[in-house]
Amino acid sequence: MLKYTLQRTLYMILVFFIITLMCFILIRMLPLPALPPEDVHTEIVMMRREALGYNEPYLVQFWIFLKNIFTKWNWGLSEKLYYGQDVWQIFVGKLPATMIVNLYSIIWSIPVGVSLGVFAALKKNTWIDYFLSTATMVVISVPSFVYAFLIQYIFCYKLQWFPFLMKGGSDYFSLPMFLSMVPPVLSLSFGVIAGFTRTTRAELTEVLTSEFMLLARTKGLTKAQATVRHALRNCFVVIVPGIFGEFIGILGGSLIIEGIFGIPGVGGLTLNAIRGLDYNIFMLSTCFYTAIGLAASLVVDVSYGFIDPRIRMGSKK
Amino acid sequence: MKKTLALLLAVVMVLAVLAGCGPQGTTEPTGSGTEGTNPPEGTQGTEGTQAPEGPSTYTYNDSMSSIPANWNPHTYQTSDESVPLDYTIDGFYTLFYNDELHPVDGVDPYAGYQIVPAMAADFPVDVTEEIKAAHPEFNIPESATSGYAWKFQLRDDLKWDDGTPIHAEDFVGSLERVLRPELLNYRQSDYYNGSYAVANAKQYALSGQPVFQSFVDMGTTYADYLANGGSDEDVVLDMNGFWSVKAADKRDFGYITDDTMVRDPAVAEGEDEDYVSAKYLWDNYIGPEGYYGSQNSAYTDTYAGTVYYPYEAGYSFDNVGLFASGENELTFVFKNAVDGFYLMINALTVPLVKIDLYDSLLQETETASGSIWNCTYNSNLQTCASYGPYKLSDYQTDKSMHFVKNENWYGWNSGIYQYVDPEDGQTYDMYQTTDIDIQYVQEAATRKQMFLAGQLIGYGLQAEDFEQYRSSEYCYATPGQAIFGLVCNGYLKVLQQRESAADFDKTTTDLETMTVLNFRKALAVSVDRDLMAATVSPARSGGYGLIGTVYIVDPETGALYRDTDQAKQGLCDFYSIDVADYNGDLDAAVDAITGYDPETAKELFTQAFQDALDAGYVTDADGDGKCDQTVTMQYAISADSDFMTKTINYLNESIAKCAEGTPFEGKIQIIKSAPLGDPGWSDAIRNGTADCVLAGWSGAALDPYGFADTWTGENAYWNAWFDPTAVEHTITIDGEEITMSLRDWALCLQGEMTVDASGTERNFGYGQTSVDNRLTILASIETAIMGTYNTLPMLADGGMSLLSQKVFYVVDEYSPMMGRGGIQYMKYNYDDAEWDAYVASQGGTLQY
Repeated sequence: MLKYTLQRTLYMILVFFIITLMCFILIRMLPLPALPPEDVHTEIVMMRREALGYNEPYLVQFWIFLKNIFTKWNWGLSEKLYYGQDVWQIFVGKLPATMIVNLYSIIWSIPVGVSLGVFAALKKNTWIDYFLSTATMVVISVPSFVYAFLIQYIFCYKLQWFPFLMKGGSDYFSLPMFLSMVPPVLSLSFGVIAGFTRTTRAELTEVLTSEFMLLARTKGLTKAQATVRHALRNCFVVIVPGIFGEFIGILGGSLIIEGIFGIPGVGGLTLNAIRGLDYNIFMLSTCFYTAIGLAASLVVDVSYGFIDPRIRMGSKK
Repeated sequence: MKKTLALLLAVVMVLAVLAGCGPQGTTEPTGSGTEGTNPPEGTQGTEGTQAPEGPSTYTYNDSMSSIPANWNPHTYQTSDESVPLDYTIDGFYTLFYNDELHPVDGVDPYAGYQIVPAMAADFPVDVTEEIKAAHPEFNIPESATSGYAWKFQLRDDLKWDDGTPIHAEDFVGSLERVLRPELLNYRQSDYYNGSYAVANAKQYALSGQPVFQSFVDMGTTYADYLANGGSDEDVVLDMNGFWSVKAADKRDFGYITDDTMVRDPAVAEGEDEDYVSAKYLWDNYIGPEGYYGSQNSAYTDTYAGTVYYPYEAGYSFDNVGLFASGENELTFVFKNAVDGFYLMINALTVPLVKIDLYDSLLQETETASGSIWNCTYNSNLQTCASYGPYKLSDYQTDKSMHFVKNENWYGWNSGIYQYVDPEDGQTYDMYQTTDIDIQYVQEAATRKQMFLAGQLIGYGLQAEDFEQYRSSEYCYATPGQAIFGLVCNGYLKVLQQRESAADFDKTTTDLETMTVLNFRKALAVSVDRDLMAATVSPARSGGYGLIGTVYIVDPETGALYRDTDQAKQGLCDFYSIDVADYNGDLDAAVDAITGYDPETAKELFTQAFQDALDAGYVTDADGDGKCDQTVTMQYAISADSDFMTKTINYLNESIAKCAEGTPFEGKIQIIKSAPLGDPGWSDAIRNGTADCVLAGWSGAALDPYGFADTWTGENAYWNAWFDPTAVEHTITIDGEEITMSLRDWALCLQGEMTVDASGTERNFGYGQTSVDNRLTILASIETAIMGTYNTLPMLADGGMSLLSQKVFYVVDEYSPMMGRGGIQYMKYNYDDAEWDAYVASQGGTLQY
């Protein structure tokens, strides 16, 4: 297992380097915004681009980029979106808002989603199962921003239970902040709940019909005991990696939901950086998410071994 | 045991979460009565608006779709970024409505404005003669006696928000920093370009920069240059001037030995010459072996030349035209003569920065080509300094900004900022607003709900809102600056190139006809402008001239260009309205203009078909009197939108209706281009690869004369196919008929000395002739440009918005100079506490 993990880590570093280089070159291959010839500022913008080294060979630029990171942990300054500001500080400053909203969403969604899935599986082929399955499909099919607008209209405007926007400041665990996060958390939750409901129901339905469940019941366990101790545990081989994936997604943020509820997070930062050709912000966010993604896949793969002894035993052969 | 432990753990976790929920010592940014924000003595609330306890707070709640991240006056780039400057900086002079305290002879109260010293202690003094004698380094012309050098006395109580005094040297140091060559500040060109260029500012800012100089400019030829020992190694080609492409290093010129290929966006990918280099252009066109060069064309010496360095490296800032002539006295020296009134209006903002803070935030970063400097001044709460009526008190990136009153602003105690209310005749202090809160709100739907819930002061109406709110008493229409004309492609050479493409079917499609004058005239009268505005963009209105309704021709009286007889007569001339038919009533004649005449359109389309047939652009193979080809015009879109779709559909329907029964029936269509981005769409129009677009220009409200320069300059959309220097134009000035090219008319209106057809020097710049004469010239140029039908005026820009019941404007009437008074004059019906109570009493949702 250790050898496998080390091997995967080395591959991960190699892949990370290749992706970083590719992104660095690809973003610079996009044509810079054309400048209106009649604008008196055009000349100075061109001089700035020259000074920024945009006209130098890509590999020279990449070398300076790497050198600044490894020698000074300097990811550069924003040239467009946050003129002259340290992109690392901007990114780190915006990460908590995204994380806290997504964390609340997951903390609430996973138990609800898994519970509904279990309930649907136990009530298989009843109207409850049909209702939950249909509702799940509908919820999954509708984009989250639709819920966001509906929730904002109903709960914030009509009922006035919550503020329209997430509260400002960094008091993330205060009651006003919590209340202001309820609408975006709800908006983000629908899809997650539906996803876990569907997965849990599908897995549990299959497991419940397995022969070892019959064995469990014949040895005297109640249905609840058999379900919790044996069926659910088997389902979790599929569900737990999904939970890991959701937690990794915490860092990603949502472009649309964050926009609608005024969450000052990282959602949309990468897209805005591409639109504005703010190279340094793009590279930082790309490197960050690439690293997270690669690490997540490693963790998920390794987690299989911990969750399912059969996989762990298999890897020793 | 396990169950008990699990339960215990769960209880502990829940308690921990609950314990975490509670105030953490952070401040709530909205609606606050923040420390130090008490209104100064004498500030009066509106009658009957007493708050239950303590001083009332009046918060102006606003929203933006992007929260500024950089409002450094030296580097900000967009109008959104400059929003914090509206509250945190001040000018030398300011504008007040004319009232009993600021009377203007012959003007009704609140119908005009008065200029008042703000940071300046008095009006500027012209010291041209004195400076010319004492400071030859500023190169004031010998013949000049006024307008070049001005002395400003500053108030002696100017302070930053932290109490640090502001003196004349701070302004000088700020200008030096904005111009400092290595900082490459975005705003530096504001101070060395245009009418208010500071003397020698360009030399300082661009010191050491190379500039292209053609052989013609040098008074020599390429052949003589070589004969005198010059080398091809040093010869450069003006690629942008000759071929409309930039060299690989993004400069306009490239060395003729450089064969680095660059993309020519005017040529389709894969076609001949889709990539060119300076060497290629030289070898094939300009050089001795090239197409033009071999014919001894003047092109060689016009587009080829050498690089020179006019801006001496290491140029001293001491030579730049701003210096402190006393502790609180500044002397400005300008490159050109500046009129005092315009100077005061345009010198309302200066690039003042708090120098110690600014310098501490300067940072040099290594780049692939050396290094670059950045400064994070005015990018958050810690790096922000204010010398205006408000100061930043809270800021969160991409979230919100909050401003409170700056207690160190001189204005609170100066007695300057007062006005007499037009309703009750009482004198009030300006700036009743105590707090300004700006939240990031991305979606219009959210803004609307927040507005209706009383959480925002204003809401800009969206297309779907007009029906419901346009007649509301809280709805305000604000005219925009731009007139959107339908720019039509007249670049015949490019159209023919496009028609010669392999995949172009000339039997079914035609492009050349759109250059036929009668065809364009027909298009012009095919569209009912007002109906179009009502259909595609209800906040806008029909546009008939090229200059909008908000431009002022005489700043001293505030007279609007479109209200002048010259402008009205110009419209009547263009639309063939005989004023005599309206008993000489010019206003009635102008009101009768619709620009829509289907019958004339049909006649013109028929005539245009004959013209196109004669020119060989289209065919009528079966002789049925119908055009065989469909004239297809590609509308240049920046990005697709509902507005674009509606506009193109409306134009197609209108044109199709007017073309019924003519040879072009069903044979004209406007289609969308691919999204071209910005400024891709305007580039496509300029280089003839797209055929039409609704576009226009806006400019300084006080300078409509600048439009003449724009229409006839090299950046006009039609510059590639319309040469204003070749169009002779005659205007009668003071009874004398004067003839010169359209371009020369435009230049002499800007104050440049030009020579007319009789060889007489002419200058009709500000102060050089009467306002009446300048108006006559401007109206005549406008009519002449409309007469080219390169652009067909369609829509006048505008917007509508709702204003909260919490506040009201002192004056409802919109003024181009004063708006509706802005936050300076804004009055409140309710303070914050009363407003909250009022909104609650209405069930949380207000009716507008």
